Amino acid sequence: MSKQEQLQQILSELKAALPELKEIIVASPDGLPVAQLAESEIATRLAAMAATAHGLGKRISTTTQLGNLQEIVIRGDQAYFLAYAIGDKGILGFTTPAGSNLGLVRLEAQEYARRLAEVL
Amino acid sequence: MEPLKVIVTGPVGAGKSTLIRTLSETEVVDTDAVATEAIGKATTTVALDHGTLRLDGQLLHLFGTPGQDRFDFMWEILSKGALGILLMVRADRPKTIPAARNILDFVVSRTPVPHVVGVTHLDQPRVWQPEEIALFLGTPLERVVGFDPRKPEEAARPLARLLELIGTESV
Repeated sequence: MSKQEQLQQILSELKAALPELKEIIVASPDGLPVAQLAESEIATRLAAMAATAHGLGKRISTTTQLGNLQEIVIRGDQAYFLAYAIGDKGILGFTTPAGSNLGLVRLEAQEYARRLAEVL
Repeated sequence: MEPLKVIVTGPVGAGKSTLIRTLSETEVVDTDAVATEAIGKATTTVALDHGTLRLDGQLLHLFGTPGQDRFDFMWEILSKGALGILLMVRADRPKTIPAARNILDFVVSRTPVPHVVGVTHLDQPRVWQPEEIALFLGTPLERVVGFDPRKPEEAARPLARLLELIGTESV
């Protein structure tokens, strides 16, 4: 299986584990879409924004001495956008509805980020 | 005097982050990430650079943007409230000059304030001269300044020019 196929496979498994997730993307650190379960135009946009949010989040973490950045949370009244570092190789980002069990989502996302790191 | 916000923009690799690092008198906020495209350098700005300096008694806040089109939302966010635009262009990469024009149009259409064009990398072989870049961008030549953003004695030059324009021009 190519790297691309492996990444897509992992995203499909994440989607199966958390069916409420929408627009799942893997972005390179500089904001290019690497793999996605989302319409291509949205994925391209989200990949750039995930990299921006993550880059800024890292900077805020160091400035305010939060330690290593663990998670980016954008909370709207209808849904969340969450993003997690895939080691230093990329970013996993997705949207999930407001009623989601964030504790569970977080555990799964971190586990899948680890798996993605092994492939990237 | 109120601090004055200036947006530093232009295509990738023009020297925007370098300029802010050279000039800032306060700790620079930068957001470099590993570049995965061939852009001629190892890292690239993904959110913003921020630095401040005092020039002729005026406090300037410099906000540097990412250069790639995919970050155009940051061009829009960072240009809000800016009173001047420094567009940076690489003289040795004429292929990026249309991209520079696109960025300038994007920013000026949302934030109609004066701009100065800073031309970098003029020490490289085979470059476009500031005259040619001025012509291409439709910017008056007196607003196009060649300089080296790595050199402290030169880096403030386009900003000084921009300050003059902001002082004289009401847009």
